[in-house]
Amino acid sequence: MLKDWKKVHRKIRGLRGLSAEEKIMIARSLAATPDERWQMHENFLRSHGLFSHWQRKASGFKW
Amino acid sequence: MVGMSAAIIQGVPATTLDTDLWVDLPQRHYIRLLNLVHRQGGTGLAPTMYALADGSLVNFIFSMTGLRNFATEYEHAREMMWNGLKIRVLPLERIYQSKKASARDKDLAHLPFLEKVMRAQKRNEEKKKP
Repeated sequence: MLKDWKKVHRKIRGLRGLSAEEKIMIARSLAATPDERWQMHENFLRSHGLFSHWQRKASGFKW
Repeated sequence: MVGMSAAIIQGVPATTLDTDLWVDLPQRHYIRLLNLVHRQGGTGLAPTMYALADGSLVNFIFSMTGLRNFATEYEHAREMMWNGLKIRVLPLERIYQSKKASARDKDLAHLPFLEKVMRAQKRNEEKKKP
C-alpha cells in the first residue's frame, strides 16, 4: 500500500546511483498496489490537462 | 500488457500517453479490434491506435521487437490484479529487453530509469526473505 512507502524507502535507501528524490519516488511506487500506481499515473496526466487524447490534441500533441 | 503501462503497474514511477496491448492476432485482423473498440464507444485513430470513450489511448501491438513469440512470453508473464481484472503483464526485465532491442530514442531514454527501479525492486524483495 502506498501509505507504507517509508518501509520500502528504508530498504532501498542504501542503493548507490539513485538520488534521494529518486529513492522516495521509487519507494512510493513500489509500495503502492497496481491500482494505486495507475491512479498516480492518471493523476499526473490529469494535473497537466493531458489525460485524454482530445485534451492533448488541443495542446499540440500528435496523440 | 506491455510497454510503459506494464512498467507503471509493476512499480515504475513514470507516465505514458497510451496503453500498449500485445495481441495474438495477425495484423490483417485489426478490424476485429476496431469493432471491439467501437462497441465500447471508442474511435480508431490509426490501424493500431484507438481512443477509448474516456479519451485514453490504446495501442494494439502485433509483434514485439527483441522478445520470444507471444505464447512463450505470455506463459512467463506476471499475473496481476488491475482494475478488478486478472491480467498478464510483461515482466520489467522483458520490457527492458524489448526497449533495448527496439533502440528507438524514446525507448533507450527509458532504460537507465528502468534499470534503477529493477535494482530497487530486487533490493526490496531480497530483504523480505527471512
